[in-house]
Amino acid sequence: MSTDNSSQPNSLAGVAAARLREPGSAPLGSGLEARGVHAWFGSHLALANVSLDFAAGTVTALIGPSGCGKSTFIRTLNRMHEFIPTAAMAGEVLLDGKDIYAPGTDVTRIRLQIGMVFQKPNPFPSMTIGENVLAGLKLAQIKYDGHKDDLLEETLSRAGLWAEVKDRLGAHAGGLSGGQQQRLCIARSLAVNPKILLMDEPCSALDPGSTLRIEDTISQLSKTMTIVIVTHNMQQAARVSDYTAFFLADGGPGQMIEVGPTNEMFSRPKDERTENYVSGRFG
Amino acid sequence: MADSGEDREVSSTLIERAIPEKRELTTKHRTSDVAFRTILNIMSYSSLLILAAIGGFLAFRGFGAFKDNGLGFITHAEWSSSIAENGKEVNGFGLGAMVVGTLIISTIALFIGVPISVLTALFLTFYAPERLKKILVTVVDLMASFPSILYGLWGFIVLAPMATYWAKLVFKYLHWIPFLNVPGPAFERSPFLAGIVLSIMIIPIVTSVSREIFGQTPLERMQAAYALGATRWGMIRAVVLPFGASGVVGGAMLGLGRALGETVAVYSVLNIVFKINLHVLYGFGGNIASMIVQKFGEASFIEKKALLAAGFVLFIMTLIVNLAANTIVQRAVKSGK
Amino acid sequence: MSITTVAPRKPWKATKKDLIPVFGALALAVLLDYAVVALTPMKGKLAYALLFFIFGAGLQMALKWRNLGRRAAIDSLAASIAITGAVLAFVPVLSLLETAIVRGFKGLYPGFFFHDMSVANYQSPLNQGGVIQAIVGTLYLIVLATLISLPLSILTALYLTEIRGRAAGFIQFLVQAMSGIPSVVAGIFIYSALLLTTSLRGSTIMAALALAILMIPTVTRTAQEVLLLVPSDLREAGVALGATQWKTVVTIVVPAARNGLITAVILGVARITGETAPLLFTLGVSNKINLNPFSGGQSALPYYVWSGLSDGTELGIDRAWSGILVLLMLVLTLFVIARVFGTRKVKTK
Repeated sequence: MSTDNSSQPNSLAGVAAARLREPGSAPLGSGLEARGVHAWFGSHLALANVSLDFAAGTVTALIGPSGCGKSTFIRTLNRMHEFIPTAAMAGEVLLDGKDIYAPGTDVTRIRLQIGMVFQKPNPFPSMTIGENVLAGLKLAQIKYDGHKDDLLEETLSRAGLWAEVKDRLGAHAGGLSGGQQQRLCIARSLAVNPKILLMDEPCSALDPGSTLRIEDTISQLSKTMTIVIVTHNMQQAARVSDYTAFFLADGGPGQMIEVGPTNEMFSRPKDERTENYVSGRFG
Repeated sequence: MADSGEDREVSSTLIERAIPEKRELTTKHRTSDVAFRTILNIMSYSSLLILAAIGGFLAFRGFGAFKDNGLGFITHAEWSSSIAENGKEVNGFGLGAMVVGTLIISTIALFIGVPISVLTALFLTFYAPERLKKILVTVVDLMASFPSILYGLWGFIVLAPMATYWAKLVFKYLHWIPFLNVPGPAFERSPFLAGIVLSIMIIPIVTSVSREIFGQTPLERMQAAYALGATRWGMIRAVVLPFGASGVVGGAMLGLGRALGETVAVYSVLNIVFKINLHVLYGFGGNIASMIVQKFGEASFIEKKALLAAGFVLFIMTLIVNLAANTIVQRAVKSGK
Repeated sequence: MSITTVAPRKPWKATKKDLIPVFGALALAVLLDYAVVALTPMKGKLAYALLFFIFGAGLQMALKWRNLGRRAAIDSLAASIAITGAVLAFVPVLSLLETAIVRGFKGLYPGFFFHDMSVANYQSPLNQGGVIQAIVGTLYLIVLATLISLPLSILTALYLTEIRGRAAGFIQFLVQAMSGIPSVVAGIFIYSALLLTTSLRGSTIMAALALAILMIPTVTRTAQEVLLLVPSDLREAGVALGATQWKTVVTIVVPAARNGLITAVILGVARITGETAPLLFTLGVSNKINLNPFSGGQSALPYYVWSGLSDGTELGIDRAWSGILVLLMLVLTLFVIARVFGTRKVKTK
């Protein structure tokens, strides 16, 4: 299934095909690759030379102390970094082999394929729970070939929220707890069927109970999509991710120091700085 | 203070122990401060005094007009003051035509001015490059400080011919709509022209309020929309407009308050006649404020008092609209819905 | 270790190459515009403007539709509409300024600022008579109105920010109510209270009272905003030293907010300088300078304009434009001064 960055009518080909896939089967596309990504705010270089390959169907955690550039990096992956007026970048981010920063790319289509969940849950308060989930479809003007109710049930179930809200889809989203709101945001992101889901410290504003539920969700989701999660909680990284990348800004721009399979990163890291961080000597 | 040893053993009784009463925090102000505070207190009530004085004097002086005409003072369409054969004054004062005129002109002003202001506010907040935005915001503030007689003079000299031309066009294609029809070919100095001039005068305030509220749209909600692949307009429709709707309504009401009381601009461009005119393209009309100015110079003593009563009506109208508007705007700005 | 030689880029920004079709489409829209006007019965500025909008927006939409699809086309249409709205808002301002300058300039001759209207009337040729009496009158009004309103405004603002007593919400409400008073109401109020049944006649002080009513809410509101900007650490520092509240306010808070308070006053002055309606009921008439604020009529710039406009003859209206130009220059000067003071930071020394 190719991602065509040039104009394609908003057909449902990709979305419908996704619905027909067996859960647990191989996900779409070949994943996401960052090559030599740098990021500036004005003249200040915040992130230098990050290259990471996110294999399809994996969960990668980005860890590191605050201010090391992990959030900046994740925002270059779905082109949210450019909303800051002084932002600049260099390098490439390849989605299925095509650079998302190439001239002529429709950035709104990119963001349909690379979804994002934010640190602070941000459901649309003027919409009901059901409308929130479907908001992405409405914004993208994707016509759903089937019963909206089925889509609602599927996405909310995958997000682990269905049981709690199935009887009140018409209620306003503001009445949910923090953890529920975040799961609603996850469902909302899922409704447009992205290949990649970026999560920027999704649990840091939530209580431990909600956190564990969301980690469960992440594990389930990873069977059908690629996930990149920024977290400052090392235990969380250890619990949910297949790979872990360690970022550090040692007085200069943020850089990726080391990446590897999670259990190796935590037990036998190769770099001394990684070792110091994961053993709690700083950060 | 209880012995901590006891507490450690009997922790369950800790919960039953009462929480002490809050102490009242007072101070005895030094004389100079007492004087200071008193002066400030009294001075700030001056606003109450002034408002009450305005309402009071106008109502008091104008009371005769209310008494003689009853409710008809507001609803009756005729305003006449003449000397009968026996030399006595015969008066029948009715504001009806002017109340209707006020509402018509203000409605036209809102109809034209509010959409332009909202679009301008959206443009400044979400589309304009930073430097252009700074310049244009200054221009909007500048517009707000232009004297109304400038708008009146400009409306009379520059805009009037253009408005007449447009009115003829509108009539040509849309005369089948009742209020756009005219009983005769007199398109000059119409409520339409006055409405356009007023719409330009309210643009600064409605734009400023709208811009302020749009600028407060929570960043995380805008980011959520963009992260879902929304275009800029998609984001505005999904996030900004629902968020800012009540603020914009408040701003529009502030504009309405301004339009209701506008005097010299209306007087300069509108043919003030005391008949109800529902044909907005037809050349006469009026509003309460301009009527007061028009009649005042040659009014008899009794008529002057009736004009004061008219002023009282205007005062109450603008008071209500402004208070409602301010409440709405404050609630919108504070709630950050 | 990482001396980067990579240059920052902004790949999301439209490049010059991207903009060529945009400007090309606009040029095409202009051509189509003129073509349609030439070939059909549509004519006039309205036709040009309307057609330019239709073709301009339409072609941009078509471009975006071809490259990026329907959603992008609608986004482009929304952008076109927003830009058009802004243009509609700013074109009148340009016209107002341009007309005032061009028409007003005609009547300005060197003596304009030194002669008064006792040697000419509104139908005299433009090189006779002048506005000195109006300028003096306006200045008198400004000074008097400020003297009356300033204490009330500042003290009310201080009450609202420093004392914040139980009546503060109510007072705030009242100030807001006052800000909506139409200027004509202020004028007839003073008339009804002081002139209708007494032997007093219109004079500068009467008009100044009416103008003060309009000035107070503006000055109070701005002063309040400015006082709230003074950091509370300053107040706490004063109080911690054992100073009384009034000493803290007078010696620390007010000087710190000095620039902002000046801005507040200037904004209030700008508000009332151009007001015409209140003057019609309270000022009396004069065509010469009158240095007595308590008796005898007075002139003022807005009144000068009003007289020219009411006169209705061509010369009278020309005079009105000249008067407006002088008035505008005054208002703009005040505006600029207010800006200059307003952008100077709050002094925290």
